[in-house]
Amino acid sequence: MASAPTANGGSNVAEYDLMLKLVQHLDRHMIFPLLEFNAGQLVDEESGDVKDEAKAREITQAKYALLKKTNMTDYVANLYCELEGLKEPPAEFADKKQKVFSQLQKLEQETSKIIELLERDDVVTMEMVNALYDLGNLQYSCGNYGDASEMLYRFRVLSTDNDKVAYATWGRLACEILTMNWESAMEELQKVRETIDSRLSQNPLAQLEHRTALIHWVLFPLFNFEKAREPILELFFNAGYINTIQANCPWILRYLAVAVITNRGRAKNPGIHQKQMKDIVRIVKQEAYEYQDPVTRFVHALCIDFDFEEAQRQLVLAEEVLRSDFFLLAHADDFVDSARHLIFESYCKIHARISLKDLSARLGLNADAAEKWIVNLIRDTRLDAKIDYKEGTVVMNHPPSSVYQQVIEKTKGGFFRTQVLSAAVAK
Amino acid sequence: MSRFFRGGDDSSSESSSDEEELYTTSEEEEEQEEQEESSEEEEEEEESSDDEAGPEKKGLSRFLVDQASSESEESDVEGATKVKSAKDKRFDELEATITAIQNGQKINDWGSIANEFDKLNRQVVKLQDGGKAPKSYIKCIAELEDFMNETQAKQKVTPKKMNATMARGFNAVKQRIKKNNKDYQSQIDAFRKDTDAFMESDEEEAPAPKPTKIKFKEVFTQEEPAEEDKKGFAIVDKRGKANPFSPESIQKHLRAIVESRGKKNTDRAEQIKVMEELNKVAETPYLKIRVLQTLVSARFDLGSGTTTSMPLEHWKAAEKELAALLTLLETHKDHVVVEGAEEWEDDDKVPVLGPDDKYIKVPGSVVSYIERLDDELTRSLQSIDPHTSEYIDRLTDEGALYNIILQGLLYYETIRKDASLEVPQESLNRIIQRRLDHVYFKPAQVVKILEENSWKQASSGVDSAITPRALAGDANRLIHTLCSYLFNNSEGIIRARAMLCQIYFLALHDEYYKARDMMLTSHLQENIANFDIATQILYNRTLVQVGLCAFRTGLVYDAQNTLQDICGSGRQKELLAQGVMMQRYSQVTPEQERLEKQRQLPFHMHINLELLECVYLTCSMLLEIPLLAQIGSSPDIKKRVISKTYRRMLEYHERQIFTGPPENTRDHVMQASKALAAGEWKKATQFIHSIKIWELMPSAEEIKAMLAKQIQEEGLRTYLFTYAPFYDTLSIDTLSTMFELDSTKVAAVVSKMISHEELAAALDQVTNTVIFRKGVELSRLQSLALALSDKASALIETNERTLEVRTQGSANAFSRKDGRQGGQRGGGQRGGRGGARTGGNAQRQAGGTQFTGGALGAAVRG
Repeated sequence: MASAPTANGGSNVAEYDLMLKLVQHLDRHMIFPLLEFNAGQLVDEESGDVKDEAKAREITQAKYALLKKTNMTDYVANLYCELEGLKEPPAEFADKKQKVFSQLQKLEQETSKIIELLERDDVVTMEMVNALYDLGNLQYSCGNYGDASEMLYRFRVLSTDNDKVAYATWGRLACEILTMNWESAMEELQKVRETIDSRLSQNPLAQLEHRTALIHWVLFPLFNFEKAREPILELFFNAGYINTIQANCPWILRYLAVAVITNRGRAKNPGIHQKQMKDIVRIVKQEAYEYQDPVTRFVHALCIDFDFEEAQRQLVLAEEVLRSDFFLLAHADDFVDSARHLIFESYCKIHARISLKDLSARLGLNADAAEKWIVNLIRDTRLDAKIDYKEGTVVMNHPPSSVYQQVIEKTKGGFFRTQVLSAAVAK
Repeated sequence: MSRFFRGGDDSSSESSSDEEELYTTSEEEEEQEEQEESSEEEEEEEESSDDEAGPEKKGLSRFLVDQASSESEESDVEGATKVKSAKDKRFDELEATITAIQNGQKINDWGSIANEFDKLNRQVVKLQDGGKAPKSYIKCIAELEDFMNETQAKQKVTPKKMNATMARGFNAVKQRIKKNNKDYQSQIDAFRKDTDAFMESDEEEAPAPKPTKIKFKEVFTQEEPAEEDKKGFAIVDKRGKANPFSPESIQKHLRAIVESRGKKNTDRAEQIKVMEELNKVAETPYLKIRVLQTLVSARFDLGSGTTTSMPLEHWKAAEKELAALLTLLETHKDHVVVEGAEEWEDDDKVPVLGPDDKYIKVPGSVVSYIERLDDELTRSLQSIDPHTSEYIDRLTDEGALYNIILQGLLYYETIRKDASLEVPQESLNRIIQRRLDHVYFKPAQVVKILEENSWKQASSGVDSAITPRALAGDANRLIHTLCSYLFNNSEGIIRARAMLCQIYFLALHDEYYKARDMMLTSHLQENIANFDIATQILYNRTLVQVGLCAFRTGLVYDAQNTLQDICGSGRQKELLAQGVMMQRYSQVTPEQERLEKQRQLPFHMHINLELLECVYLTCSMLLEIPLLAQIGSSPDIKKRVISKTYRRMLEYHERQIFTGPPENTRDHVMQASKALAAGEWKKATQFIHSIKIWELMPSAEEIKAMLAKQIQEEGLRTYLFTYAPFYDTLSIDTLSTMFELDSTKVAAVVSKMISHEELAAALDQVTNTVIFRKGVELSRLQSLALALSDKASALIETNERTLEVRTQGSANAFSRKDGRQGGQRGGGQRGGRGGARTGGNAQRQAGGTQFTGGALGAAVRG
């Protein structure tokens, strides 16, 4: 396993950059923030200078190529000027702008009527409804996500065309994500999920592709909206989606692993968290031949090989990777903290006596800080452990689970379940 | 009505019953006439385009028929003064039936034709005088056959299908005619040759239908020599060194030969000689193609028995001729051999390229010839003892065969380019499948040589669109291309086979993960039982190959799991079609045995069974010995058995009083198991390493090293399981010297065991020891109590599941309610665990790593 020295950490991190893989499954408009982020990474924080001219130019080029197809004409024109070093944008942009505006106006006129009608509860025709859809589409393409979302919402209420409704739902999800309106994004997500499960059940390939896209899209709410975490994790661990990840996009495992690990303290139900942890370990193990990065290697080393030193090494690498990842940047510290907990937990589970010195080295803290950390940990998690200061050790106490306890556990629900059963039979 | 019964009629109350019959038939006739008329009226509009001379001709012929029947009636009337013989009456009936058939033909009503045809045959039996059928009957069946051929040809061209009843009738007639007409072949020939003459003789014969037996014999013998004559004539001439076979007569000869095909008493060897001669004189490509086709078919007829294979020299000759045929087709691009082309009826002329035609089409199927050639080679390989040099000699012919397959493929690709020929996709698929069958089980180097040689044979100008020449050097891509072509263009069995071949090839070349993923995504294990036996065998072979691949990669658990179904059954030979098992308790009919023999694979395709057993047993040992040690300490833990076969062998081995030094593979593994169980890992490694058969594996040394490592680890585990109760603490360093493992490795192994709760212990980091916890050993009562509680909860679960299955929909509500309430009362603990369990199950079904179920024995045995 790569115990690469951290000196060339930069190139290492680049190696684990998932940008290329991710963008294939994202919408144009969603790639934009990612590119911005990449550009931002190149800017020196203190001085505001751009470190790598060539790279920055490359990114601007990419931005231009990305947005050329959209209708955000002003911005595209600016980019073009920046690229070519021109002062005035060429006339074609103005033309295009004009065209877009006229189209926008035309559609707005067409739809103004229907919006009026809507207020009066009248009969509407199919074409009018479809005009709403087109307008929504165009608005989105221009970058007016809020308006687009509104249009698509109206369209969806009125339309009976199943295909278009499905597209509109996807469109709305994109709008909500881009306007960072997470609450309604989650609603849309639920709808999209239902459509995929129900409508595409006859077409496994399309289902796979749609699921892949959805998995990538929801990365935005997953790491930006606290409440979205549980339902999205639940979505990821759903059999259909976990298979999609395994088959089509194993790199998502990084995000999944980070999400699960950082979810440690937050999960309402520790049972579910444990189960998710188990699942992620299993999947990381299964996919090890296909995808590896510091995060999955960390999981592998810690939970499969029980090689704590390797885990520690990977954790350092993983932190770097996290810091250069668009989605995970904000969670890097959280992840490191949770990962330490995890290491300590499994360490305690296996060991009966641990040297404090050794442990502090392992956690990457000095002796005093480590002691404090451990005391806090013991208090928080109610581990059955004591610090023997004289010897400089932590002593764990693993009481064997009593046989009586075991029998009681096993037979606990028996009576109740039998009662339910007999009631059901009697019905 | 049975013939016997009829016989009775004849003698006693013939007149009345016959009259009755006559009456009914005439009535029937009328009915049919009516039917026909009404249907004709309907048809007339529809069919006017179909048949140019439509209504006129119909009217006329109907008139004619009427006349004929009235004539016969007249004659009946005339004959009424005499005693009307039963025979005459029957003749009338016959005529009536024939008319009905003719009517049926006109309106293309196969349903009624089929009925009438049956009736006709029944009637004609009575009218036959020792085998000689009436002329009108011959005429009728000859015409019917022609009509049938025509319809069949039409059917191929028009996309419109017949409706079900028509099609059924048509097929029935087709089959019966084929069978039936064989009996009257000579007469039909005579009829065909000269219709008028034949019918005239009919005129003469009809009024006096009493040719004596002798006379018939005469006729028969006359006719026989007539045919023989030509041949005899020719042969005499050949002896006379004259040139007996002129190009003009070729077609006649061919026809004669084709017609005698499948009959008894035809001397095939003689015919082949004749055709060889013909081949020499044939000048135009058309004639050459025809001769070669017939010649190859005739050669195949030589080996048409189910058990015997084609003689060697004939196979070689057929291969050469087929090659010649394909070269001929390649050079003369205006000649094509396609299925469903129309037969050229005129023996005197040779078809020439018309101004509108692009091709001269010759009926025939190149792919069938190639398939047959392939099958014959397989059959002969099956019958040769594989350990002789003869077998190897024979095997070299595979190269030649492969050349032909490649040539055939190229041929089909070229004719597929022209859409007007309508070559079905299926032929191309079939030929690619054959090609795949010859390469998928071979290592890449061998495939490369095979490919390069056969491309050398092919003329340099041509290239294949599907598998370009450049691919020849790269076996991986070749297989991939062939398989994905089939995968995209075919369905059902061919598709499944293509996939299996690819998986097999991947597994053979150590691409375990790819092979496994393909195996899983194919979902073949779920429906393999619906495929034919040959495919099931291929599936089993693939499964085994994947297992072996897993073993080579070092994944013992996966290897054991994959091989379990095949090797655990104890019927490897049968399941892999590599030999017939002795059936001890069940009777096998000779028929089944014969089929079984036919399925056997030729020796060079075999997977080494001893190696397979060795791998399986070694894997089982590595998994079972630690398990046995684990459950050994507490006998009441649920007994888990990984491999029953292995356990049985181990028990048997332990029962032996004296164990000598190991002789075969099995002994080696058993003794190694014993040593491993006792913690003597070095001895175990020695035993395993001294198994000779590892040498057959590529990179045997690596595998031995891998095994040694596995044995060390499993030895450590076994040791810990076995001796844990007798220690308080164990130093990790001691363990590490004992098993010659790195101390971190030992720590990792111990950690893993602790974490999985297999071992009640903890590590002490300061002193670097393993501390075993005390008080975990259960008393008998305690362990029994645990077992009881386990069983009780299992019982509840089973009950719940049963109820759920029984009540389907409503049970869902029940279980949900239960889950919620249980969660409230029983706390999160149980809910959590239950959730984990079901989640795990669903996972395994959806995309787990295990294969379940080989295509098992009952199906294979047929």
